[in-house]
Amino acid sequence: MSTRWYPIYQKGNPQLRVFLPNFWMKLVRPEGRQQPSKVTFHCSIEMTKHDVKNYIEKIYNVPVVDVKTRIAMGKFRKDIGKGYIVKDDDVKFAYVTLPKTMKFDFPNIFEKKKGDGDDDMKSLDEAKKSFKNYIERNKDRSDVPSWFSI
Amino acid sequence: MNFTLFRSVLRNVTSVTYRSNKVFSLCGLPQVPRTIHTTCKQYDLMEFFDEKKNWNESNIRVGRSWKLDELRIKSNGDLHKLWYVLLKERNMLYTMEHECNENVKLFPNPERIDKVQESMDNIETVIRERNIAYYKLETGETGERSVDEVVNLLGLNEKYQKQEYYLPKFMNTRWVRSYFEHGYINSLAVKKFYRLYKEKLYNIERKARNRDFSHVQHLLKRFPDMDMEKLKAEYPNVDIEKAKRSKKARGHYMPKY
Repeated sequence: MSTRWYPIYQKGNPQLRVFLPNFWMKLVRPEGRQQPSKVTFHCSIEMTKHDVKNYIEKIYNVPVVDVKTRIAMGKFRKDIGKGYIVKDDDVKFAYVTLPKTMKFDFPNIFEKKKGDGDDDMKSLDEAKKSFKNYIERNKDRSDVPSWFSI
Repeated sequence: MNFTLFRSVLRNVTSVTYRSNKVFSLCGLPQVPRTIHTTCKQYDLMEFFDEKKNWNESNIRVGRSWKLDELRIKSNGDLHKLWYVLLKERNMLYTMEHECNENVKLFPNPERIDKVQESMDNIETVIRERNIAYYKLETGETGERSVDEVVNLLGLNEKYQKQEYYLPKFMNTRWVRSYFEHGYINSLAVKKFYRLYKEKLYNIERKARNRDFSHVQHLLKRFPDMDMEKLKAEYPNVDIEKAKRSKKARGHYMPKY
């Protein structure tokens, strides 16, 4: 698409304008300990610091003080089974500093709710139930294979 | 790259007026009859995460993606707003997927990402259609990047997408040097490459010819009474009379002639 392709010069300022930006950003859990006003992102590899700042300020309406970026090289690993070497994609990290007054705690998404049974127990119960159904259904025809059903 | 997109972006397409910086206040526009309703309007970094009730769920039901025909009847303003809704949704899904992978959990309903992506692709298609229509009306051209057939440095034909350069072609002495009489394009290396390339192409063609001929011979051996016209139509480059006369085409029976 033509908006993905920056002309060298266009009338009016600012020179670089985006109509429909297709950049993506992920908010990720920080690797180590981090100040409460800092947030770690993964973003599209072509994004600059200015892009990150504008993206968060304009689209998410969150003020940004400072942005630092780095590109982490993807790992080289052997493909399981085939043995050839595969390189994972590079990732761009963006470390965004919010104003002093703001804090961001990464939420704990997989916290267990109270009264929620264990997942394994749930699936085990389900399996038991389906096995019981299967036995019930095939009571009168014990020699019929399990894949046969009407 | 700058994101001050709101003033001059749609100037080329139709007369859509934006109040700058207010584009994202999606829910409260009383003068627009059809607004896009979003579920949450919290300008916060928590927009990168799903709603709290969807955390820890194993099955999240969502609707389908936006279709082209639905988007075609929307105004440019609506499409512009919808794009950002989808962009945020996609970021949210990416974030949740990443967090799930980190915690070795299954990401519920991963097809949501595909649906959002499809909607975004459809929006781009519609915007592009409108852009082309506008350019055709105003300038008689599509406004797309034009593609030229050029001869590249290896002497091969190539499809070249035109692009802008700081230097005009006639002033670019460095670029033109390789196309001179003693330039790179006439060098021994390129000639050798071209010769070997031609040989490769010829060998591919020759092998295909021989393969077809041999195949026809074997067909004649197995099915001597087959429809010759059909065979001729299937393999137009094969001389069928010659194939019939050959030793390979003879079956294990007394010849009829």
